Amino acid sequence: MTERETGLTTPTDDIPPMMQVRPAAVRWWQRLSIVWLIPIAALVVSLGVAWQSYAGRGELVEISFQNGAGLVAGQTVLKYRDVNVGLVETVGFAAGLTEVVAGVRVTNDVAPFLDANAQFWIVRPEVSVRGITGLDTVLSGAFIAGQWDPEPGQAVSRFTGLEAAPLNAQPGDRGTRVTLQLRDGNQISAGAPILHKGIEVGNVGNPRLSDDGNLVLIEAYINQPYDRVLTTATRFWDASGFDLTLGAGGVTLDVKSLASLIEGGISFDTLESGGSPVTETTVFDVYADEATARDSVFSLQNDEPLALSAVFDGSVSGLASGSDVRFRGLTVGRVTDLGAFVEGEARDRRVRLLVNMELRTGKLGLGEEATAEDALALLGEFVSQNGLRARLATASILTGGLLVELVEEPDAAPATIDLASQPYPRLPVTAPAITDVRATSQGVLERINALPVEELMQSAISVLNSVDALASNPDLQRVPGEAAGLLADTRALVTSDDVAAIPGEVRGITEDMRAVLAKLEQGQAVENLVAAIAKANTALDGVATASADFPVITGQIRDLGEKANALEIEALAAATTRLVDTANGLIGSDDAKRLPPALTAALTQVAGFLAELREGGAIANANGAISAAEAAANSISEAARTLPALSDRLTGLVAQAEGTLSGYGAESRFNTELVKTLRELQVAADSVSSLARTIQRNPSSLLLGR
Amino acid sequence: MTISARQAGLVGCLRCGRVHLPDVALCTRCGAALSSRDPNGLQRVWAWWLAGLLVYIPANLYPMLLTRTLTQRTESTIIGGAVELFQHGDAGIALIVFVASVVIPVGKFIAIAFLAMSLEKRHLMTEHAQHRLFAVVEFIGRWSMIDVFVVAILASLVRFDAVATINPGIAAVSFALSVAFTMQAAQSFDPRTIWDD
Repeated sequence: MTERETGLTTPTDDIPPMMQVRPAAVRWWQRLSIVWLIPIAALVVSLGVAWQSYAGRGELVEISFQNGAGLVAGQTVLKYRDVNVGLVETVGFAAGLTEVVAGVRVTNDVAPFLDANAQFWIVRPEVSVRGITGLDTVLSGAFIAGQWDPEPGQAVSRFTGLEAAPLNAQPGDRGTRVTLQLRDGNQISAGAPILHKGIEVGNVGNPRLSDDGNLVLIEAYINQPYDRVLTTATRFWDASGFDLTLGAGGVTLDVKSLASLIEGGISFDTLESGGSPVTETTVFDVYADEATARDSVFSLQNDEPLALSAVFDGSVSGLASGSDVRFRGLTVGRVTDLGAFVEGEARDRRVRLLVNMELRTGKLGLGEEATAEDALALLGEFVSQNGLRARLATASILTGGLLVELVEEPDAAPATIDLASQPYPRLPVTAPAITDVRATSQGVLERINALPVEELMQSAISVLNSVDALASNPDLQRVPGEAAGLLADTRALVTSDDVAAIPGEVRGITEDMRAVLAKLEQGQAVENLVAAIAKANTALDGVATASADFPVITGQIRDLGEKANALEIEALAAATTRLVDTANGLIGSDDAKRLPPALTAALTQVAGFLAELREGGAIANANGAISAAEAAANSISEAARTLPALSDRLTGLVAQAEGTLSGYGAESRFNTELVKTLRELQVAADSVSSLARTIQRNPSSLLLGR
Repeated sequence: MTISARQAGLVGCLRCGRVHLPDVALCTRCGAALSSRDPNGLQRVWAWWLAGLLVYIPANLYPMLLTRTLTQRTESTIIGGAVELFQHGDAGIALIVFVASVVIPVGKFIAIAFLAMSLEKRHLMTEHAQHRLFAVVEFIGRWSMIDVFVVAILASLVRFDAVATINPGIAAVSFALSVAFTMQAAQSFDPRTIWDD
């Protein structure tokens, strides 16, 4: 064993010596390796991680949805203010497969806030005309969005998810929610913008029908700073589509926004002050357009509708439910529905058209407290006193739309409102005032077409040509000079002393006659008078003879004057020469020159006789005188009777002169032209006057056709 | 008849294999510390083994890869990833992943535990079989890191911001630790003890 103990010194043995190993006299814990710290640390870390993940896994809540599209267990997240606050762990069904239930693990920091008013909805990508919402979900998949108030409340672990995002989808929005009511919801879709002065300030929810099915109700949400303008006096109107206004300024096309064009939109404005604050339960009407909304400001919110009906004869084509009812141009109501009913018996049966309408009592100016009965009473008064009638009138000449107009016709036959009529009191009607623009425009065109425009133009051209030719004719230029000469001569004749003396003489005779008659009244002899009258008769015969020529002259002058006045240029020119000659001849004749002295002598003789009579004064002669006076008077009247003959003669003379003149002028180029010109002028004048007459007869016919 | 160095009263260097007299503290050739048998060797094997096993649990429970693409965001665990690959039809790759990530580490745990136990219960295996097993374990240990490499390369290469991003999950760290711990366990094993009676 020594070799063994020496170790390597003798390694020749088969079995090497065993190494001396002293057993370690140490405790077991002293033999523990420090390496054991590693698994311990690993265990601690693992346990720590496990604990942490267990403690931090959050609360499990269940959210039920009608439709689980896009929900993927382990992948769909729950977001609050776009931050992940949870993860869908399970997607299953509620009992009876009625709903999809998503088990969502919500982080601990938001779990306390999930109380009863928490709302959840699924955000999916949505493409609409207003843009694409939820674009991030296209890539990441749908997620559940949540919204709750920042106050911790009684924890709830089961929620019912919303089918669509709530209106105030941004948590913390403190806007105002109101309800809008429309008659027609097809212009508006969920999410449509609410505009205020063109700015989008809110949006609307899903349209739904009211309980009675007559109206469409839409929840509207108006964001915070803008809801301050909301009062009960606020008016909402439909801003959908576009406004096409045809006015004096041309055609105006007003498109609010592409979104509102397609998706619809609602504008609002507070048009008058004095409204009270709105509450969640406030319901607003949505008017068809801004103009209507503004008109409605004058109506009171609580005015009571007054239902009336009217029966119209003929077609009501163009009248529709919703058509205006106007009174003096102000819209006071609208047509609610149209219908027909059969009236009468047997042969008299006929179909009549019944129009039901609704009047707003507030529009009639009765004040806020007025009831429908008051309004009906007022209308009844109008109908019986002022002749208020309903009639159809054209609302738009372009569309042919009609409206019901309440007009006052004081001359109308008396009528009253038929209170017994069913279903509503019936207003008396009057003839419609319908303008059919198509027929009218057709008529206007036809009338314009029928105008003899071309003939008129031809005539006018001819006239102008003729006038031109006439004006340049030397004959015509000579006429004025000769006419002036004629007038001068005429004036000389009239102003001659002899002629001027005649009236004085006649006056003297008249005075003498009066004196004689005064004497006669005093009872003087009739015989003298008879003799005197006989003499006077003789004298007067002379006067008549003398004056026989005189009327010829004066009549001729007058005739000539008239002729000159009434004379067409034709006659004037032609007659000038003849007139001058005749007048010269007359004035220059001896008869004419002799006339005044003869007349004077006759009158002097009469005067002498009368003077004698005045001096003689025998009553016995009175009878004779009277009969003589009678005879004288007869003679005078005889002489007077011959005056028409004279006049005839004169006319004949003039006619003869004219014949002569026309004979003289027949070949004259001047005359021919003149006649032709005048004829054409007359034709032209006829055309113009015919047109003028047509237009004058009814000025509006050209435009209105009626 | 073979004898061990210990039986010959000598001490062999574990690093370079030179045999020294027992009183030599450091290898005269390579300078490594010499010890005939590590008294705490088995203890350290078990400690590393346990640590490796502990961290291997989260490595399988937690996601290995966080893949974020335009359309989705997926987290895949080791086994989940392998199954997914298999479902996509990449059976070969799925097999590689499965072998590298599951079969080999689990086999290593079993092998190390078996070796450690067989030192006390000699009848389980012959010394040669034990030694071969140890060699295989030590050799194969580094290849277990293939998963971690894949994750590291993917995470560094696939960084297209929004389009696609891959991030290592917590399991990658656990798995790397597990591999490291088991390698350490294998390293702690003193193969000379196989031959001790």
